[in-house]
Amino acid sequence: MKKFMSFLIVFGLLTGIAWADSIKIPVASPFTGQLASFGEGVKNGALLKAEEINAAGGINGKKVEILLEDELCDPKEAATVATKLANDPGISIVVGHLCSSSSLAALPIYRAAKLPAISPASTNVTIGQMSPYYFRNVYRDDFQGQFLAKYAARVKGFKRVVVFYEVNDYSMGLMLAFMKEAKKLGIKVLGTEAYSSDTTDFKPQLTKFKMMKPDAIFIPGYAPQGTLIVSQARSLGIKNVAFFGADGLDDDVVVKNPDAEGLFVTTPFLPDKAGPQAAGFIKAYRKKYGKDANWFAANTYDAVGMAAAAIKAVGQDREKIRNYLASINSREKAYNGVTGKTYFDKNGDCLKEAFVKEIKGGKWVSAEKQLQ
Amino acid sequence: MENLFEQSSLFLQQLVNGITLGGVYALIAVGYTMVYGVIQVINFAHGEIYMLGAFLAYTMVTFFGLPFFAAFFLTVLICAFFGIILDFVAYRPLRKAPRLAALITAIGMSIFLQNLARMIWGSQIKSYPREILPAFFYRPALSFGEVSMTWLQIFILSVTVVFMLILHLIIHKTNVGTAMRAISQDKVTSALMGIGVNRVISFTFAIGSAMGGMAGVLVGLYYNAIFPTMGYVAGIKAFAAAVLGGIGSVPGAMLGGGVLGIAEVMGAGYISSEYRDGISYAVMIAVILFKPSGLLGRQMGEKV
Repeated sequence: MKKFMSFLIVFGLLTGIAWADSIKIPVASPFTGQLASFGEGVKNGALLKAEEINAAGGINGKKVEILLEDELCDPKEAATVATKLANDPGISIVVGHLCSSSSLAALPIYRAAKLPAISPASTNVTIGQMSPYYFRNVYRDDFQGQFLAKYAARVKGFKRVVVFYEVNDYSMGLMLAFMKEAKKLGIKVLGTEAYSSDTTDFKPQLTKFKMMKPDAIFIPGYAPQGTLIVSQARSLGIKNVAFFGADGLDDDVVVKNPDAEGLFVTTPFLPDKAGPQAAGFIKAYRKKYGKDANWFAANTYDAVGMAAAAIKAVGQDREKIRNYLASINSREKAYNGVTGKTYFDKNGDCLKEAFVKEIKGGKWVSAEKQLQ
Repeated sequence: MENLFEQSSLFLQQLVNGITLGGVYALIAVGYTMVYGVIQVINFAHGEIYMLGAFLAYTMVTFFGLPFFAAFFLTVLICAFFGIILDFVAYRPLRKAPRLAALITAIGMSIFLQNLARMIWGSQIKSYPREILPAFFYRPALSFGEVSMTWLQIFILSVTVVFMLILHLIIHKTNVGTAMRAISQDKVTSALMGIGVNRVISFTFAIGSAMGGMAGVLVGLYYNAIFPTMGYVAGIKAFAAAVLGGIGSVPGAMLGGGVLGIAEVMGAGYISSEYRDGISYAVMIAVILFKPSGLLGRQMGEKV
């Protein structure tokens, strides 16, 4: 027993010292589960930024330590992670969450604990209005949905489109925004069908779509299901129909699928369209991980950078950090990151450009025509 | 008039989709129903055997480079063996314990196997490489206007039907089948009559798991998706199909699978895809309310 007690004391001292020595920045995202590959970009981006900050001497002499908090893109898990972080006095800011449904579950908990958070990837419209403590450095779905409708109408010339959405906050928000704009632009939405994330059989809905003879099928969902939808559509003999989606389809699993040739998506970050400020990041990322940075990596890299800048400026006080972030409210005061200038409106949302990339020869390539 | 033609071809295509899905449910449901028939335990780890089947064939094809049909055959054998081990580890020690205890070990095995698969293969969706099957499998075998049925669908359906027939013959025409039916009626008396009860139970697990593994490979091919949690949803659906058909009855499992598959697809196609699972379960509940023993089940009295 005595031995055990002394072990506890030593252990406590060690962790105590470690705590006093470093600044912890938790990054909450799915790292396992179906959307683990999105989380990989998040993790890589966060760790790269932390490494660079530490190599440059840390924040006010203290090292940055990234805590990877896995929430599986499951709202229940997100609430558990959020509660844990909110009750830890050593945490002064959170980078996360990734999925919109997770953000919506975690947000009231952070608001109650007055803990600021920056989401690198949650695009659902309502998130910003719900808490003065929740910020994001990514565009919103109303913008993204509108953008896709404009691109579909003006660049692709689609007239008849069907929407195949997942029952979650992200996908339904995108669908609504797309449909509103499509109506204005004269695109006819012939029908909408839904699926849940645990299904692998999309044939009944696709069979209905086949009979409607659309120009294109819009899939505002996530990649694991998106890739199956495309393949099953092909096996039902749906030909000469284009597929497109939003940033949720931006994943390796879609690119590797030969049936997805020609599919296009919106994305907040394209290495070859990013300005000169991103060149160093793109090079360092490729050197460290052996592949190109995707938008999850770029946005998380910047979110961690903003969190570090806030702590550097005002210290580890939750309220002061929130006020610091809220004060970045104009182009002049913007944070200069690899994804361009980031500054927040009164809801903590930001205006960012969207880009289009498509699959050609089994690779993502920037679409020739971009909408600006 | 053309509209009427389109409507009927839509209906036919949905029927084809539903029957294929139902065939898959039936293959999995057989495993539940056989084990339940013999030892009155719901083997909740059965869905995981199905998942392991899909992954084993995947590994054999992609890692060891075996031709598909060899991998398919080996997978079925290995899954049969897994079934025996599963019984040996999780159920045999509890043969005389209350049935609830066996139910808990079943759920425990299910969670264990799911996490094991996640450790070995990772949690992302995998798919079989397209080249493993001859290209004609993906082409329509029968087509009628807009309605088409691919060779793969026909392959899945014929495998299902053939193995159901073989199973029926095993249960009704062989010694071991007779022994299975005897044990399902009275375990103790069967033992007194000189039947090796444990041996027969192992055999039951082997057959049920072989069918489960087979279903896993076929579904992996058909939907192009294998992942560690695939056994959970499919297992619950197949269990529902087994109950709907009358648990303990092999033809019942087949009928239940078909009904559930068609209800699900028609529900998604004609009512609302958002409530797809809700609709199929509502059909199941309605049947059970009117016929508690299931479509083809025996009245089981105090056994339930």
